[in-house]
Formats: sequence, C-alpha cells, structure tokens
Amino acid sequence: MRLILEVWRQDGPDAEGSFETHEITDATPEMSLLELLDRLNHQLVENDQDPVAFESDCREGICGTCGLDVNGVPHGPEDNVPACGQHVRSFTDGQTVRFTPFRARSFPVVRDLIVDRTGLDRIIQAGGTISVDAGTAPDADTLLVTHDDAERALDFAACIGCGACVSACPNGAAYLYTGAKLAHLALIPHGKEERAKRARSMIAQMQHEFGPCSQIGECALACPAEIPLLAIAAVNRERLRAGFKWRKPN
Amino acid sequence: MSSEIQERSDIDQIPVAARPATTPPPRPQTWVLKLIMAVTGSVFVLFILFHLAGNLKVYLPDDPQGHFNEYAHWLRTLLNPLLPGSTFLWIFRATLVACLCLHVYSGLTLWIRAHRLRGRHARKVHATKHHLTGRTMLWSGLIILSFIVFHLLDLTIGRGVESKDFSTKAVYKLEGGEVVTDAYSNLVHSFQRPEVAIFYVVVMVVIAFHLSHGLWSVINDFGGTAPRTRTVFLFLADLVALIVVIGNASIPLAVLAGGISV
Ligand code: HEM
Ligand code: FES
Repeated sequence: MRLILEVWRQDGPDAEGSFETHEITDATPEMSLLELLDRLNHQLVENDQDPVAFESDCREGICGTCGLDVNGVPHGPEDNVPACGQHVRSFTDGQTVRFTPFRARSFPVVRDLIVDRTGLDRIIQAGGTISVDAGTAPDADTLLVTHDDAERALDFAACIGCGACVSACPNGAAYLYTGAKLAHLALIPHGKEERAKRARSMIAQMQHEFGPCSQIGECALACPAEIPLLAIAAVNRERLRAGFKWRKPN
Repeated sequence: MSSEIQERSDIDQIPVAARPATTPPPRPQTWVLKLIMAVTGSVFVLFILFHLAGNLKVYLPDDPQGHFNEYAHWLRTLLNPLLPGSTFLWIFRATLVACLCLHVYSGLTLWIRAHRLRGRHARKVHATKHHLTGRTMLWSGLIILSFIVFHLLDLTIGRGVESKDFSTKAVYKLEGGEVVTDAYSNLVHSFQRPEVAIFYVVVMVVIAFHLSHGLWSVINDFGGTAPRTRTVFLFLADLVALIVVIGNASIPLAVLAGGISV
C-alpha cells in the first residue's frame, strides 16, 4: 500500500513547528499505526534524516503511552481503540494520513508528536490516591462490596490515562478522566473515607489546567478504555456531594 | 508554594510542566458556573412552558380573543389582593431578568475558559446531534437574547418594531366587565407581517436547538449518573424542544395562513 504521511515536526516546546510530507510505498494493511511510524522512521534514518519522535510502550492497549491525533481524531479513525491497536487497513491506497500531537492547551508539545501530559498526573496528585492507613488485610467478608459495585469500580478503573478525552474535547476538558477516577474510588470501601476531600481537591486541580465540560460527548467516543459518558456527571455529583459536607480539619 | 500564587492570571505565565501540584482554581469555579447555568436554564424552561400554555389559548374554539386577553390580565394581577396591582408580575419579571443576567454571565465565562484551553490543531468531529446543538450554545443563546429584546419591543412595550395597529390602551371589555389591553389583536397584527412571522418561526427553531442540548446538560450538571435517568432526560430534552417549537411556531404560521384573525 502506498500512503502519504503528513507529520507534525516541532523541535521543542517553544519552536514554531510545521508539517513534513513523506511517502511510504510498502505499508501493509495489518501494520498498526505505530508500526507505520516505525516504518517511516527507518526510511528517515536511511536517508540521514531525524526520525519522528512519538511515544509508545506496551503496544497492546494497556499502558496509555501512545497518544497522537490521526487525521484530526485522537488515536485514529476507529472509535474507542488506542493508536497501537489501530491499523493501516482503515485507510485506502494512496490516501493522505496526517499525524498531529494530541490537541489541548494543557498538553504542550515536547517534541514532534510527544506531548506533556503531566497535567493529568497533577490531578491524581491532588487526591486520586488513598492516603488513610487502611491497616492490615481485613478478614474475608468484613467489608462487604456488592458484585455490581465491584464491577462498576473496575469499569471506571479501566482508564489508562492516555489523555485522548482531553484531545477529543472541543473545550480541552478533562472531565471524563477525572470523573472516572472519582467514580472508581467512591465505589470502594477504602476510597470512601476521603471521598469529599478528594472531590474538592481533584476538581479544583482539574479546573486549574483543563476546560469546562459542555456535554458534547466526543471524549467517550475517543476513550480506548470505553469509560462511559456518565463519568462527566460523576464529577459534578461528587463535587455537589462534597459541597454539602462540613470541611473536616486536617 | 501554592500560597504564593493567588491569581490565576499569574499561573498562566508558568509553563504547564512547572506548575505546582496544588494551585487555586479559577473563580467562580467552573462547577459553580455550571450549576448556575443549570438552575437558571431550568427556570427558563419552566417559564417557556408556562408561556406556551398561555399562548395556546389562541386556539380555543370559542372566543379565543376573550380567553387570551383574560390570561394576559390574570398574569398582570396574579396574587391580588395579597400583593397590590401588578406586584406579582414585577417579582416574576425581576426573577427572570436576574436569571438571564446570571445565565449570560456564566455562559460567556465558560465559553471563554473553554476557548482558551483548546489546542491549536484542527479537529475532525463525529457528526452527532450534540455537536450541532452543543457547540452552538453561545450563538443560539445570543440569538435568543436579541429575540427577547425584539419580542418585548414588539408585543409588550410597543416601540420601534411594533405593528402599526399596536396599542397598550385598555380597549377590550372582558366578560366580567373589566376593560383590559387587547393583547390578542396586537399579536395578530404583528404576525400579519410575513417577515416578522417568519422571524418568530426561525427563532423558535433556534430555541429548540438550545433547549435540546440544554436539558441534557442539566442532568449532567446536577450530577445525574443513573443510566435510566440520563436516558429519560435525553428523551425529555428533545420532547420539550419539539413541544416548544411546534406549539409556538404554529401561531405565526396560523396567522399567516389566515386561520387566526381579529
Ligand atoms: C429563554 C431562553 C433560554 C433558555 C430556556 C436557556 C436554557 C439553557 C439551558 C437549560 C442550558 C443548560 C445549562 C447547563 O449547562 O446545565 C443552557 C446553556 C447555555 N445557555 Fe442558555 N438558555 C436561554 C437563554 C440563553 C441566552 C440569552 C444565552 C446568551 C448568551 C445563553 C447561553 C447559553 C450557553 C453558552 C450555554 C452553554 C453552557 C455550557 O457550555 O454548558 N442561553 N441554556
Ligand atoms: S502503547 Fe500502550 S496503550 Fe498504546
């Protein structure tokens, strides 16, 4: 397969950046999008040019490291699949494929297709952890969690933190991400202790770097972990709930 | 470290990666603004439905003019004698104006925040209904705002854009003997101008767009996570939008078609 690749090249956070066009003549339908970029990089190195910087790690959809926009869509043309799991067969012979870094003011470009996603980490640092002393492992069946709650908590915990929801959002919002974390921890016994405090601090941090949600729904269509759209309502639910709790002295 | 940085404007100067982990959020906080949007938006929805019920009196089979004018008069003197004269109407109006100011202020603030935080590259979006309605909320809102001004000048105050037969004088005699403003004739005369009638119809479609995304937003802003409630709201949002557009837009069309006349 022949594909024309338009790739965003940017030397550093403050550099201007521009598109570079390359042709790949030996792409195969079963290549993943990352393998397509690998192929391009081989070609660039053979011609004594700089390879394109992009991130990847597990290449099986569990780490959330890969993250780039393909033809203006996070991760690529298929909904709910990470870039490492999307394939060249989505394109037709001779098609132009455009690679850009994740789009969001809160994700500054580090180099080429790599963006700085530490804004998401700062939301977790603000309270997405359990910091009470949970003691030793309790006896079986002393903390009862229903099967449904356990399943739902796991569904929200499936978030791999890739940042596609932010890139998909016309407002640069991180509601789906924050909502998934809040909903996950609110459903399990150890997470309930700091529930109100967590909601206040994580949501304060989220608003600091990310935009407001307008309920458009792009995030849930991009999310490779298929976090349901109701996670955005979980943000508001947790914050309203915290608003009715007295602040505990710390 | 966080205490040194109080103003959000200062924080914008710091590269994202170097920002402290805990920083003050923008004020008023986004979730507060969203809550204000949801509460004031819901007040408007209730008002619109209430207003629609009154408007639909033009379709009553016998004496629509009498019923409509009686309703207009009833609104003016509601809760009399508890509150003298048109006190209730003024409380009602003050509440709506306060809601409108809050709604527009919050909407603009959210829109500015959203636009500052989106990135630079072009985005291809899914062709969902929420894209059409959701991303045009500010524009449909501003059209509604200018419509409210037009509507008041046209049918309440009668200045600038009213029909040549407009009158606020008490000329219509109710069955009870009271003489009141002939709101019905003012309405019919206004809609007998085709360009005005078409304008009303177009604005009703715009309002329907705003409502269908707005009511869906309300359930999110109030933190409704139960899947069934969300499905009901998604349906209700379209239903209310449809009722408003069909109910209201049919009136100018009926006047144009000659079905309603003085
Ligand atoms: C009768 C008139 C109006 C009705 C019934 C109405 C109703 C609503 C409702 C129910 C919402 C959803 C609130 C939420 O986020 O939960 C909303 C959102 C919105 N309204 Fe209005 N509204 C009206 C007038 C206006 C006007 C005059 C503006 C002018 C700027 C406006 C701008 C907006 C904006 C920008 C949003 C979206 C906020 C967001 O991003 O979530 N609306 N409206
Ligand atoms: S590389 Fe790990 S999710 Fe794509």
